[in-house]
Amino acid sequence: MSAWQFEAIGTSWQIDTARPLAPGIAVAVTDRIDEFDAVWSRFRPDSVVSQIADRGGAWLLGEESRALLDLYVELYDATDGALTPLVGRTLSDLGYDATYSLRSAEHPAAVPDWDTIDWSYPELVAHEPVLLDVGAAGKGCLVDLVAEVLSESGVMEFTIDASGDLLHCADAPLRVALEDPRDPTRAIGVAELGDGRALCASATNRRAWGDGLHHVLDGRTGLPTNDIIATWVVAESGLLADGLATAQFMAEPSRLMTLFDHEFARMHTDGHVEWSADFPGEVFA
Amino acid sequence: MKLPAHKRMLSAAAAASVLLLTAACGGGDSDGGSAAPTSSDSASADGGVSSESGSYEDGDYSGEGSYDNPGGNSSVSVELTLAGGEISDLTVTPEATNGTSKQYQTQFAGGITDQVVGKSIDDLDVSKIAGSSLTSQGFNQAIDDIKAEAQA
Repeated sequence: MSAWQFEAIGTSWQIDTARPLAPGIAVAVTDRIDEFDAVWSRFRPDSVVSQIADRGGAWLLGEESRALLDLYVELYDATDGALTPLVGRTLSDLGYDATYSLRSAEHPAAVPDWDTIDWSYPELVAHEPVLLDVGAAGKGCLVDLVAEVLSESGVMEFTIDASGDLLHCADAPLRVALEDPRDPTRAIGVAELGDGRALCASATNRRAWGDGLHHVLDGRTGLPTNDIIATWVVAESGLLADGLATAQFMAEPSRLMTLFDHEFARMHTDGHVEWSADFPGEVFA
Repeated sequence: MKLPAHKRMLSAAAAASVLLLTAACGGGDSDGGSAAPTSSDSASADGGVSSESGSYEDGDYSGEGSYDNPGGNSSVSVELTLAGGEISDLTVTPEATNGTSKQYQTQFAGGITDQVVGKSIDDLDVSKIAGSSLTSQGFNQAIDDIKAEAQA
């Protein structure tokens, strides 16, 4: 087994393969990540989303935007507007900004209505400058894109771990501990990922900065969510797993289960845990 | 937000199917208890109301149906009047989109536990850990900086 570790988009990545990746493939992977970051990072002043935030207008977006923003439309509907990519300015004002100031403005911007934009692949029209944030599903989407680079390069068995977003492609199942958000030395269960399955874990209590501030915002209130502290979702793609791991902070599971093919576990503030009947693995009840 | 046209059509179709199902089943609640299907056996969903007109007594019926679809309401209430075995009046009212949580909660069929009994990760046979301890290094650095500043 070979494990390639690197830093990208501000987080740790690890790609496990049977044999070390050829240098050309590794470069293709990091290039793909950079390409994604150059469009979607709200922390880069030259990114497309930063330019949309500067001047709005009509933009033609690349192939990956179809799955990503179309999922955002569905998640917006499924959560009655709680999950929205239009929280960028508010998150930034709350302190989650390019420099990680982690200091909240006195009057954070309100979250704009969806009507501020029109989206129909490949065209995004911003009727006014608006700061998009694809934090709810972007990393999962990027994991899928990296997987695409690997399989197009002939690497068919691999595990991609982008700190919370996992995609496993191999015959042998992968056992993953579900870290207890209250104690990182302990697990509340184990997920077993089959071939081609993705797992996304999200928690608010560790990436938090004072006064209940964290990175998962309810678009209807502009405030951080406060009932759920951690979610784990297994689905057929990193994109779906990531998006639903965020949505599980904001909507009732049975509604999400009806709309999207996924399995989940989630923990409430008071420590009680819910999980779907067919969650692959075990929750230590 | 503006939904694509096809989504709106889906909403309408979903509402219609709930309506038919509700009508065929006679509705869960009768209005004021004055009118109810004569027998539960006849309230099967395999036919329309009009073709089985003998199965239902005339009167006012009401019921609730819930459905899930992007952009639509999550439940509707249906009121209908049967006269001579035919539907003579029909009102479908979408319920508010908020406040449906309790309803969904009761439909949830999975596991739930008050307090999860965790296990030490060292004792588990796992290859990976999924959690939030590995957050962005920049973020962690910023938190450290702020703590240091606060102590200075």
